[in-house]
This record gives sequence, C-alpha cells and structure tokens, in this order.
Amino acid sequence: MSESEVAGSDIYLQPSVVFEQGRSYLVRARSGHGKTSLLNFIYGISGQYDGEVVLTENGERRTESGERRADGATHPAALFFVHRFATGTATGSSFSPLREGMANARTENELRTRVLSFMFQDLGLFPQLTAMENVQLKNRLTDFKSDAEIEAMLDALLPEGKKHQPVATLSLGQRQRVAAVRALCQPFKIILMDEPFSHIDSENARCVADMVMGEVGRQGAGLIVTALDAIDYFPFDVTYNL
Amino acid sequence: MLRKLQRKTLIPAQIAGYALTLLVGVAIVLLAVQVYCDLKPLLDSKTDVFSAHTVTVSKNVTVFKTANKEGLYFSEKELKRLKEQEFVKEVAQFNSATFNTSAAISFDGQRMSTDLFFESVPDSYLDIESDEWQWDSTSDFLPIIIPEDYLNLYNFGFAESQSLPVVSPAVLSQVTFSIFVEGNGKSKVYNSRIVGLTGKINSILVPEDFLRWANSEFGSAEEKGSSRLLVEFSDASDERIPQYFEANGLNINKSELETSKMAFFFKLAMLFVTVIAVIIIVLSVAFIIMSMNLIVQRNREMFVNLHNIGYSVKDISRFYKVVVSVITVVDLLLAVLLVLWVRGMYIDRMSALFQTGGGFMPMLAGTAVLMALLLVVCNLFTGRVIKNITNRQ
Repeated sequence: MSESEVAGSDIYLQPSVVFEQGRSYLVRARSGHGKTSLLNFIYGISGQYDGEVVLTENGERRTESGERRADGATHPAALFFVHRFATGTATGSSFSPLREGMANARTENELRTRVLSFMFQDLGLFPQLTAMENVQLKNRLTDFKSDAEIEAMLDALLPEGKKHQPVATLSLGQRQRVAAVRALCQPFKIILMDEPFSHIDSENARCVADMVMGEVGRQGAGLIVTALDAIDYFPFDVTYNL
Repeated sequence: MLRKLQRKTLIPAQIAGYALTLLVGVAIVLLAVQVYCDLKPLLDSKTDVFSAHTVTVSKNVTVFKTANKEGLYFSEKELKRLKEQEFVKEVAQFNSATFNTSAAISFDGQRMSTDLFFESVPDSYLDIESDEWQWDSTSDFLPIIIPEDYLNLYNFGFAESQSLPVVSPAVLSQVTFSIFVEGNGKSKVYNSRIVGLTGKINSILVPEDFLRWANSEFGSAEEKGSSRLLVEFSDASDERIPQYFEANGLNINKSELETSKMAFFFKLAMLFVTVIAVIIIVLSVAFIIMSMNLIVQRNREMFVNLHNIGYSVKDISRFYKVVVSVITVVDLLLAVLLVLWVRGMYIDRMSALFQTGGGFMPMLAGTAVLMALLLVVCNLFTGRVIKNITNRQ
C-alpha cells in the first residue's frame, strides 16, 4: 500500500494507536483498504509492515531491547500500540507482538489460545469436519467450554441438525456462525472479528453479536470488529476509519 | 479430531513406497553385515590355523641364481625386514641337513637305496600330532615325515603306470627302512619309519633337535642360512601380502593365498552391495521427505488454518512424525526378522563346512544405529517442512 492510499487513515501512519482491553472498537473501511491486513499484523500472521505492534500486559511494556519497564499508562491489561503502519514494505523494523511483544514465556500458540482470539474473514474452517468437530478442534487446545456448552451455542445459531453435518455442506452464513462460535471457545484479552456479518441476516447477526458481547463481558475483554460500513449490533466505544 | 483431519492427507501409495524401499535397503545392509560376521572366521582363516596363516616362502629361482646359489638364501637383513612387515606375525626358518644321507630298504632279498635330503621346521608349524615324532639321542629310531603329495604321486601316478600295488598311509607307516648318515668322517645307521604325511610342507622332515645334533656331528661347519622360510601371518587375507611378495621377488605357494584373494573380492563385493543398499536407504528417506513436502503443499490451507487457530508446529507434525517413525521402526524390525530367516537358510550348510561365528551383535547394533539415524533425520525433516509452511509471511 502506498502512502497516498492510506492518507487520512486513523490508524496507518499515525504515531500511535491504542486498542485497550475492555473497550470495543470498530475499524471501518472500504474493501481493499487493509482491514484484514491490520488484524493479521496484530495477530502475528503477517509481518509485511513497517513499524511496531506491541502487546503490553498489566501496564508493563516489553521493548525491543527486551527490557521490561513501566509504561506509565493506566492501561488495565493487554493493549496494542500500533505505530506507523505501511504495508508492503517489510523491513527489519517490523515488530510483531506475537514474537516479541509479550512477556518472554509467551509463545505464538499460547497467545493464540490464551490472549487473542480471531474470527478470520475466510473463516479458516475445515470443510471435511462437522460444525461441532470444527469447534471442538479449537476447544481441545483451550479446554475452555464443555461439549454441552458448545452444542448449546451452535444450536442457538444454526438450524436444527446442522451441527453434525460437514461444514462443506453448510451455507456461507452458517459457516460464519460456526467460525464465530469457535472464536469464543478460548480465553482472550481481545477478540478480533474480520467482517463477521458479511453473509448473515440482521436477526442472526444480532444473535451472534449478543453471544460475542456476552463472552467479551464475562472475560472483561476488548473487541475489534472490522466492517465495510457502520454496524449497530455492537456497542462500540471507538470507531476508526482506515 | 486432529488425527481424523490428518489421516486423510496421507497418500497410501507413497507410504507403502517408503516402507518397501526402506525395507529392501535396510534388509540388504543388515544381511551384508550378518553374512560378513558369519564369514569372518573364514576370512580371518581361524578355521584352519595352518593353511592360510602360514606359508612357505622361497626366493624365485632365476637363470642368474642357478650357478651362484648364494642368492637363494635369505640374509639376516632380509629376514629382519620381513619380520617388520605389519602382516607378518612370525618367521621360522627351514633347517637343512649339511651332511649326506641315504635310505635303504630290503625287499624280497633285494636291496634298494636312494640318496635323500632332510630338513626340519619347528614342531609348532606341523599339522601332524604323533607320539612317535620324537628323537632320542640314545635310540636308533629316526621318525620321518614326508609330503602327502609324494604318496599321491606314487599311488596315482607311478603305481598306476607301472601296474604296482597302491599303498595306504597306514601301510606306509608300517614299512621300516634304514637311514645312513655320513659326514665329517663319521657315519651312523638309523632305523626309520614314516610317522606321518604332511599336506603343508613340501619337504622330507626329521625332528628339529635331531637335525641340529646331526649337523654339528656330521655336517660341514659352514652356515648356509635358509633358502626357505615359514611365514606366519596375522591376517592372511591382508591384500598387502601378495603385493609385498611380488615386489620382493619372493615365491609363495599361490594356492595358499587363494583365501586372501577370495577374501579381498568378497570384501569388495560386500562393500559394493552395502554402498548400493545405503543408496537405496538414502533414496527412500529422500522419497518420504518429498512425500511429506507434497502432503504439506497439497494441504497447505489446512496446515495454515491449524496454525492460525493455535496449533503449534509440534502439534501439527506429531501425527506425521508418529506415522513415519512407526513405519521406520516396524520396517527395521521386519528387516531383522528377514535377515534371521535368510541366515537360517544358509547357516546350516555353512556351519557344516567351517566354523561360523560373529553372532548377531554387530547386526543388531547396526539396526539400532540405523534406526536412531533414520528417526532423527525423518522427524527433523518432517518438522521442518511443516514449520516452513506455517511460518509467518
């Protein structure tokens, strides 16, 4: 992405942007403006950017030199510090939260199962497994929900009998709901949702949003949702225009 | 769940291909090791202490040496050099009589007589054990050993052509004859019998202490040295032996070194077979690694998804590592059974011919080493292939 493309962005090229735990953010942009890229940078899937993404915990921030020091900020827990994003020009200064941002002991997989949850835009489901199995596959790592809880969540969002069908046979909207349930099957400080309702009608979207907000509230977590337009299913604290 | 997902990514034909090629390669290597161990006593010639370990060495008789026999004798220097060779364990000299001898036999009132020569070698080099092989200075009895070939020459050559009766070794040892020893103006007559036939030393032998005594009693004073040596090798299959004797113009009974040549070619063939088998193993490992690569490329999306929802490279690769490891271990055990089965087929016949030995330890040790190596290599590469694909872009 060139600088002209991200000119006027609330996030890219800004000195710093902070996402705090316990608050909800909407990141709005037209398609092709880097919504998915932003979430990928935060989640650590992509390193194609200049700048740094830093995850802090308990008001402490790990710097590039590896020292821990007090940030001085009053941030409650996990938050991101996003600095001067510009995709497509990967250089040595890229700094991933998942590699270096957290306290030393944290591994990439621990972050993805304990700190960050991500509902992917392309869903990342396994078509040969059933809806139930897809969720269980994630839950096995986290052991966060019981099978009964998972079934209840799926039943609330899917038509009768669909949860034991291979995901390949489900509609795109149904798959999106399965992916949402899966994203909730782990402890997280912040949950990332990439255009979660692009194929869901408003009634079902509200159902999913309520379920997500319930989990976010229980965990005292933060929420980052990307969307093409404003959506009103979530009570957002902040809206960024990319 | 993860297993259900990953089981379908396996390509049975490729797994079978790996299993089969690995089995063939490993079985050949292990069989080569086992056969080598079984044949080692033969190669080292431990079965027949004399034949391959000790040879008679003399200098080549050439035109220039016919007149001047001095060239046929081994000098002190030459002896010393020979003893210094790595493959030579011991060198013993033939002692020859420096006096005149003749044998006479009375038969049907007729008296036949022939000139003779005597030599002696240390008793330990003889392949004959006889109580009569002793000389006592007070007794008139002198035991003699002649080459087996002499009797054969008579039985199958002379007797045949002259229509004479054949003689068995037992009969031969009953025949008594007289030996005349003469020299230094003294002479003595001994009663003599052939107490044994040797297949190893091509000479007429008398006990060494007799010859030493008789040489001082009847012989000329001059020391001639030895023209023939008995050389004992530490390893008769050593390839340097024929080379050394060739280079130094020494004559060695070639047939006695056949084992060493055979051993050389056998070792060469074994090496060749092993190299081929190792190449097969390397190819089979390359094959399974390429197969893993293909699986990963085909299911790229699945692996990336798994990684994205929090499965570590270790979690993802565990299934494949287990599959490859199980196949490898089962293959190696099968190969061991195969080798034992093949060994069972040849070992009976082989042990009837010579003493086999070696046991299974080297083969089993080889299996363990191969197993460890294969497991490390396969697991390492499987992990790496999966790690590469899940790496952040």
